[in-house]
Amino acid sequence: MHRRNFLSLSTLFAASSLFSLAGAGLAHSERGDTNAILHDPDAPVGGNPRGDVTIVAFLDYNCPFCKKSAPDLDRIVREDGKIRLVYKDWPILAPSSVFGARAALAVKYQDRYEAAHHALMGIPGHGIAEDKMLTAIRAAGIDMERLNQDLTAHAAEIDALLRRNLAQADTLGLQGTPTYLVGPFMTSTLDYAGFRQVVADARAHAAKP
Amino acid sequence: MPKTLQPILATVLVLLSCALPGAAMAQLPRPADEVFRLTVTRPSNGDLRLHWTIAPGTYLYRDKLAAAGDAGGALRMATAPGTVKDDPTFGLTEIYHGEAAAMVAASDLQGNASLHITYQGCAEQGVCYPPVTKTVDLASLAVSPAGRGGVSLAGSEAPTALEVSGAKPAGTDQPSPALLAGNIGVMAISFLGFGLLLAFTPCVFPMIPILSGILTRSGDGLTPRRGFVLSSAYAVAMALAYAMLGVAAAWSGQNLQIALQMPATLGLMSLVFVILALSMFGFVDLQLPAAWSTRLTRLPATGGGTLGGAALLGFVSALIVGPCVTPPLAAALLYVAQTGDQVRGGMALFALGLGMGLPLIAFGTFGSKVLPKSGRWLGKVKQAFGFVFLGLAIWMLARFLPGVVTQLLWGILAIAGGVWLGGCDLIRGKARLGGRLGPEVLGVAAALYGIVLIAGAAAGGSPDHRPPPGASARGASSAVRTVVDPAEFDKALAAARAEGRPILIDFTAQWCTACVEMDRTVMQDPATRARLETLSTIRVDLSDYSAGGQTLMRRFDVVGPPTLLFIDPATGREIDGARTIGAVSTEEFSQTLSRAGA
Repeated sequence: MHRRNFLSLSTLFAASSLFSLAGAGLAHSERGDTNAILHDPDAPVGGNPRGDVTIVAFLDYNCPFCKKSAPDLDRIVREDGKIRLVYKDWPILAPSSVFGARAALAVKYQDRYEAAHHALMGIPGHGIAEDKMLTAIRAAGIDMERLNQDLTAHAAEIDALLRRNLAQADTLGLQGTPTYLVGPFMTSTLDYAGFRQVVADARAHAAKP
Repeated sequence: MPKTLQPILATVLVLLSCALPGAAMAQLPRPADEVFRLTVTRPSNGDLRLHWTIAPGTYLYRDKLAAAGDAGGALRMATAPGTVKDDPTFGLTEIYHGEAAAMVAASDLQGNASLHITYQGCAEQGVCYPPVTKTVDLASLAVSPAGRGGVSLAGSEAPTALEVSGAKPAGTDQPSPALLAGNIGVMAISFLGFGLLLAFTPCVFPMIPILSGILTRSGDGLTPRRGFVLSSAYAVAMALAYAMLGVAAAWSGQNLQIALQMPATLGLMSLVFVILALSMFGFVDLQLPAAWSTRLTRLPATGGGTLGGAALLGFVSALIVGPCVTPPLAAALLYVAQTGDQVRGGMALFALGLGMGLPLIAFGTFGSKVLPKSGRWLGKVKQAFGFVFLGLAIWMLARFLPGVVTQLLWGILAIAGGVWLGGCDLIRGKARLGGRLGPEVLGVAAALYGIVLIAGAAAGGSPDHRPPPGASARGASSAVRTVVDPAEFDKALAAARAEGRPILIDFTAQWCTACVEMDRTVMQDPATRARLETLSTIRVDLSDYSAGGQTLMRRFDVVGPPTLLFIDPATGREIDGARTIGAVSTEEFSQTLSRAGA
């Protein structure tokens, strides 16, 4: 809660002078609400919720690079033990991306988001058909009847979250998938060593007085 | 505590790191429009030829090139074979490197004024771009952006249809902080900048008459140089007051802003202003102790007591505008308190104060040039400032005195001012007829206004005077429980949870001007009121700032009022992302209510 305090207070603080100092480059991100990005109450969170470094992952289920870096991301989160991972479903690549994102978020209501997420990320390639996505989710042992119910019952909530994610990505000026915000850093596809490096950098940055 | 701050401080640096060229930036992909460039030509046979240049390290998918007509129907497009990429995670894909070409036959173009061309690709460094759609005008062959192509929530079969493009980022009008971390020089400059910005808010307006008062008091000897010295003393003292707050906050971990809003402090400050006013009227001659004066006169070109007076007023002024700049100040103080870094805290706040003082120095230096040199009028002006100082004293008292009393004081001041302006002379017919009647008429008007105010106060206060907290819209919400200590709070919380509605916890206080302001504006909004009806509200009244209230503030990490937060009735825990600190607009509060599920 201290964090929230600080954030909301200091967001007021920065005012527009921040941007004149930082220069025109901030044009994309100046309106970004970090609190909303880091602490969207509806966004699924993995890893250690009390971790000292937060990785925000903007991902699409039709994004081969997301799929390529997914195992390394999972590994760093698991092995490090102190990373908080925020999933931002950001369906921008193909119409079926929206379908996949909605399905995964609906599975959140049976507390199995990560299982569905990993199942969808496990399908290689791009342009994945919707039925292929459903097959993968079913294979992960998800209660499909419940999924269908939640998809209808929580449709508005799910789409509101997706819209927020899209808007946040736009305000951050993100160019494509995947985008990972690691502490103060923004990056795209990384391998395990790369993730380890950027997490270490983020910690070093945070430790600086 | 710094530990819990670290990840957040670090994370909010995101915005900065995206902006500043650096290691992190080097990782970021270039925008799709920079790496894929589409040009169109129309040879004499009427076909439309499309050509893309593809930046090194990026590629386009062959199967993602598409053309659609005016009506949106897909048009046949001839494309050349690409390179086959076979990667386990990508599957079999046909891609173009360097350049790509496509053609739409003239016969397929008929009946269309423009075409929509969609294409999509990736960068080898590991990013896939969303589809890009361009509109090609078939007459001019101009290529214009048609927004982000293809994918929208609305465009897919789904339980609900929503338009993505119309989506507004939630609560994005709060920029990011992050300047407190990092290089101390950058930090100081940033804070100087913030201070400058704050100087142009109404917060600093009360300082201008104070400074003018100081300059006026120096009388004949007012040169630009002296104006500069005096206003600098004022500004630096103000900055020092902030610096001391910073150091003290770092040292104690307490938020001193609250102390500055306490009745005792406010009372003391208004007393200072009353004494200053009396000195302006010539009733009291304010002199610093002789020893101080001697020391101060050793400085070149200064006039002893007056310089000290300027500094003293500067110091006090910092406290006056304090409440107005509470949110930024609280942010800085909270950070400083949590780092415990007194040097940084002091410097940050000093820079902030100095920034706020810079325009005042300019005013003091150059403003003095335009002031006429001397004359009997100076005495009058001096007395006028006496009234202004009395007004400031009442203004501060108004934060904790009942509205009726304040109104009475204003009334008395207005009558006194009216008499002083010569209102009585006009009534007695002693005014110089044919002369300048302005001041006298103004005087009568002021006195009349004063009488109206006093009459209003006698009748129980005018409606435009602020209601006590609880009498207003927040009080109108169906279930409001006011508590002052943890025991009462726990009881109220248990009762509220039983009602099963989201619980609004409202930290407020009578002396909190921002709370009163919100009660009057945001909480009076009909839509807001309706939504508040769906909540259970617990008001934590911090008016007397008791130990119990402070315990509750600590429990919820509340820096000061106004702070609004929401508790989930099911879990009894705070709802994440739905806390507001400081005065917020109706829109912001509405968004917060949405986040809280109200």
